[in-house]
Amino acid sequence: MPHIVTDNCAGCRFTDCVSHCPVECFHGDAERVYIDPDVCIDCGACIPACPVHAIYETIDMPDEFTFWVSENAEKAKRLPVLRSRQEPLPTAAARRSELGY
Amino acid sequence: MSVQTSETKVVRGACPQDCPDTCAFLYHVEDGKLVEVTGDPDHPMTRGGLCVKLKNFAEHHYHPDRLLYPMQRIGPKGSGKFERISWDQALERIRTEWTKIIDQYGAQAIMPHAYLGHQGTINGLTSGDAFFNRLGSTVAEKTYCESGSSTAWIMTVGPTGGLDVESLAYSKYIIVWGMNMMNTNLHAWPFIMEAKSNGAKIVVIDPVRTRTAKQADWHIAIRPGTDGALALGMMNVIIAEDLVDRDYVGSYTVGFEDLAARAAEFPPERVAEITGIKANDIRKLAREYASAQPSAIRQGVAVERSPGGGDAIRLITMLPALVGAWRHVGGGTIEMPIWEFPFNFDFMCRPDWIRPGTRVVNELQLGAALTGELKLDPPIKSLFVYNSNPVSQAPNAAKIVEGLMREDLFTVTSELFITDTAKYSDILLPAAMQAEVYDLMVTWGHLYAQLNQPAIKPAGECVANSELFRRLARTMGFSDDHFKLSDEEMVVGSYHWDAPAFQGITIEKLKEKGWIRLNVGSPSERAPHAKGNFKTPSGKCEFKSSMAANGNFVVEVWRSGYSGMQPGGYVDPVPNFIPSVESREANPDLASRYPLNLVSPKPHAFLNTQYGNEAVQQRRQGEQLIIINPQDAAARGIGAGSYVRVFNDRGTFEAKAEVSDDVMAGLLLTNVGHWPGHNRTGTAVNSTTAPRHSNLGNAGAYSDNLVEIRPV
Repeated sequence: MPHIVTDNCAGCRFTDCVSHCPVECFHGDAERVYIDPDVCIDCGACIPACPVHAIYETIDMPDEFTFWVSENAEKAKRLPVLRSRQEPLPTAAARRSELGY
Repeated sequence: MSVQTSETKVVRGACPQDCPDTCAFLYHVEDGKLVEVTGDPDHPMTRGGLCVKLKNFAEHHYHPDRLLYPMQRIGPKGSGKFERISWDQALERIRTEWTKIIDQYGAQAIMPHAYLGHQGTINGLTSGDAFFNRLGSTVAEKTYCESGSSTAWIMTVGPTGGLDVESLAYSKYIIVWGMNMMNTNLHAWPFIMEAKSNGAKIVVIDPVRTRTAKQADWHIAIRPGTDGALALGMMNVIIAEDLVDRDYVGSYTVGFEDLAARAAEFPPERVAEITGIKANDIRKLAREYASAQPSAIRQGVAVERSPGGGDAIRLITMLPALVGAWRHVGGGTIEMPIWEFPFNFDFMCRPDWIRPGTRVVNELQLGAALTGELKLDPPIKSLFVYNSNPVSQAPNAAKIVEGLMREDLFTVTSELFITDTAKYSDILLPAAMQAEVYDLMVTWGHLYAQLNQPAIKPAGECVANSELFRRLARTMGFSDDHFKLSDEEMVVGSYHWDAPAFQGITIEKLKEKGWIRLNVGSPSERAPHAKGNFKTPSGKCEFKSSMAANGNFVVEVWRSGYSGMQPGGYVDPVPNFIPSVESREANPDLASRYPLNLVSPKPHAFLNTQYGNEAVQQRRQGEQLIIINPQDAAARGIGAGSYVRVFNDRGTFEAKAEVSDDVMAGLLLTNVGHWPGHNRTGTAVNSTTAPRHSNLGNAGAYSDNLVEIRPV
């Protein structure tokens, strides 16, 4: 089952996930990243790579994240693919500590 | 005050599965329990990630259904009713039954059945060979997969590793031919993505618009079983338009004139009719492939799964020599690089113990062998199954079940779980799982030696195959030193450690590092056939094969090291297009009753049947689906999501319909690997497939399968 990026990514955009993805399924805008569910091969390599625990597999995600399933599918199709890790946003460190990680 | 401490450790290992990626593992153990298995972040292929199939590998070791103790059957055959017995009781029963059989019929009445359920050196494909050769059993030909490709590859370029998948990063044009890499060779895909970001064009040739095809720059949909015609069509264009690397062909190949004459019979218009690919696309593919150097071809096993599969692999393997792609780093073709490893097969398989004239029975003919159709003398009176699950994975499953139901057949199975095959056994023996065993892993997809070290104790009374065959040898009274070797002594004996490829590799270093690259040059510099150096009898790429003179053969590793009783039969020295048997052209009567061609690639979340009994993997994979083109679905009144019956004269199964133009009209796709016993009718796709071979290496021709479907 595909994986999704949830709200914790916004304001962080660490993109460690991108360097762990073997299939280039991450797409992003200035705020955050999304997973293309048609490209994701469910390996889960990105999950432990995310410093703020933003990524879930849809079969075991909490119900509150259901919104992000269609959001990832739609946004990923419109946004450019990310091929390598990028610098986190300037707000990343503060946001991470706010999230308690 | 008491302080609780827990002991945690990380142990290095490697994946046991029949997959080209052979990932480097880190076993995470707490207080003797395996809590997680992760990919080694430092390994150049694994890169820290495993795959969807192995996601719950730690939990799999503790699956409640795991077979933990020897068992004997207490109900009718196939009822799945067993009771626990001791190892001593199990071995004594085997000794009694086998002694009786040997006295009355001779040892050839016993047949082993194995494949790559485990991919270790001492627990894998060849782990039982020495024992069964010593016993004098029938030699089982293990040709489930890759055997046709092996024969074709060796006839053409010899036992060479060919192109390294890591070198794909340096290619300018990559053809993925008959492989859904994102499902089945995931860890090589990043090298293709790297090439792509450097400007390479990615082409996927596949009957199905797979997830890999969707990521390519160009998907070429080809009719199953016509790959040889496409390769000949490309050659026709390359030769006609003078895109041949004449210096390379002149120096490092033999038989160009013969090949050119054969290719001349395949102009693009004729090939278009055979393959369903437009003639102009064939021309474009040929021109681009020849001109964009370095060009690379990643061959998939799917190509061999048709009657002409062997010659198709030969033809595809010739293309890089024709255009001089081998000159460059990143140029050439990948089939499987296993031939770079310096195996000592004489030690592993002990073919010196095979008695002259010993017969060979092909495992894909298991049903016919057990039911008497092959008219074997002596008949098979006992079957010993390990590392395999023929009721799911071998063709013509109903015939196999019929054979396994024989009251006079004594069946023993060594397994992790009570599979669809194991349930017909008289005796079950519990097998160890990967975190519990010591082995140097065999790989057919990269160039690293990898040691799997045990992280936890075997569950229950499970034993590794190495120990299983030691126990069986003792039981049968074999006092040979071979059966007294420790696991490490067996691993050491299985390789030529002084071979150039193993320079710098020792057991001690492997214990510390887990994995070491073979001494074959780095991916950024390696061009193994820049100056010929092919491993054929002529030392050249053989467009006209000198090995064809002795007829069809199975490479000895797939037949316990045995060189005798090869299949033989005519092999054209210059490969040709050999059409399918089950097609409208070849068999119009059959095609009128069964008009749809069913292909059955591997599933996404299972590894063949392994993990097909994990609830979480079942959710990831979903139930048995069949993908149907909208035109074929409409013609039969089949709606998306409805259940259909798939059938032909061999058998039937049911699946849920997915309607999609990812498959062309006339084509159906379902996956092999769902446990037949979990399906609606207790059957799966191999109830419909034919026990037919590819033209080389006795490989299975699973894609040559016509069926019809009806709504349930």
